Amino acid sequence: MARREKNYQHPLIVRVTHWMNFIALGIMVTSGLRIYNASPIWEFRIPENLTLGGWLAGARMWHFFGMWLFVLNGIIWVTYNVASKHGRNTTLFRSSDRLGIVPMIKYYLRLSKHHPPTTKYNSLQKLTYTLIPLLALGSVLSGIAIYWPVQFSLIAASFGGYDTARIWHFVFTAAFVLFFFGHLFLVAISGWSNFVSMITGWKRAEEN
Amino acid sequence: MKPKQSIAGMISRREILKLSPLILLSGCDITPGEKTEPLLRTVQQFNDWVQSKVFDPDKLAPEYTDADVTPEEGFRVNGKDAGEPDIDVVNWSLTIEGLVSKPGTYTLGQIAHLPKRTMNTRHCCVEGWSMIPQWAGTPLREFLRFVGADPRAKYIEVRCADDYFTSYDMPSALHPQTLLCYEAYGKPLSISHGAPARIVMPVKLGYKSAKWVHTIILTNEKPGGYWEDQGYDWFAGL
Repeated sequence: MARREKNYQHPLIVRVTHWMNFIALGIMVTSGLRIYNASPIWEFRIPENLTLGGWLAGARMWHFFGMWLFVLNGIIWVTYNVASKHGRNTTLFRSSDRLGIVPMIKYYLRLSKHHPPTTKYNSLQKLTYTLIPLLALGSVLSGIAIYWPVQFSLIAASFGGYDTARIWHFVFTAAFVLFFFGHLFLVAISGWSNFVSMITGWKRAEEN
Repeated sequence: MKPKQSIAGMISRREILKLSPLILLSGCDITPGEKTEPLLRTVQQFNDWVQSKVFDPDKLAPEYTDADVTPEEGFRVNGKDAGEPDIDVVNWSLTIEGLVSKPGTYTLGQIAHLPKRTMNTRHCCVEGWSMIPQWAGTPLREFLRFVGADPRAKYIEVRCADDYFTSYDMPSALHPQTLLCYEAYGKPLSISHGAPARIVMPVKLGYKSAKWVHTIILTNEKPGGYWEDQGYDWFAGL
């Protein structure tokens, strides 16, 4: 029992909200890119087969369905972390973590073979997992700014107005997509059992 | 509420108009399939309800200075519009029907006699682009008061010369910035922008700002709309 408890990685709520996030963001990003295509901000368009909804009205339906999944999931996740202190004890970035950033970057860039000593998560992971919820908050607020630029005109103004809020919303989306590929890469190189632990909660001891 | 009859007599022109985009889009319906559509439609109706609750009838859309107004050459016409209808601007009149005490037709002269509002407000297209024209016209609520509209009526439908139609909840129609607009940039509306009169509604997406209006109907039965019937959200609040 003691050995297993030591390797219990992710509580159930964390695992469920993680995969709900995957689904919700998958819907939000792909339908959002279809909405982008209706009036592209920049020169490029998104290939249609990477988008969801078929046409603008369909994409909007998906987008404003996905937003509820994303927001409700976020509320559950934040409530759990505030109540349980789970995040505070694992992924929350603290000022003392600053010192670990440069050594970790050196290690990842193969400039140093020495993996800096860390707790469950290293400084870069903590930084990322602390910034991602803020990114989500930015996405939601910039989304409100362009969904309700009249009812919440102050939020729209705080993003620099309607048109600029639309750019922010896209930039936040791009940041999520970048995070997704980086996350996928790091999970892939860290091994199968690490991936499995986000489903079952448990990670094999020898690989810990 | 009798639909106009086509020469064929069996199907109204509006029905044909409604079908045309469906024919065009039949190859790309709401992916990944019709199974998801009832759920998405239900959530869309729920979102309409949320929007109607969030809507504050006293909250004004931001109004901009003349310096912020989009230059007149940038006063866009949506490319999705089918084209300009044949409209007799000189002999035009506006018909009002339904739950009003003085139904009938009203001339532009009568409308222009009512209080006038000039405003620089943002027009947000559902596609994502926006512009800030300078609009002017009679607040729709002034006109509705003039014709003795029943304020307890739940909905307002507008019908247009190009067979476009849309509808609104009464609180949005009575919003002080909802205009029966007949001027833009200090000049009478051009044909491409909806002459002689159109709706301008800064509290809703652009497809609610119907051009070439010829009939306004007050009703308690929820009417649809040209785009709304095809899948766009009905409330479309901003």
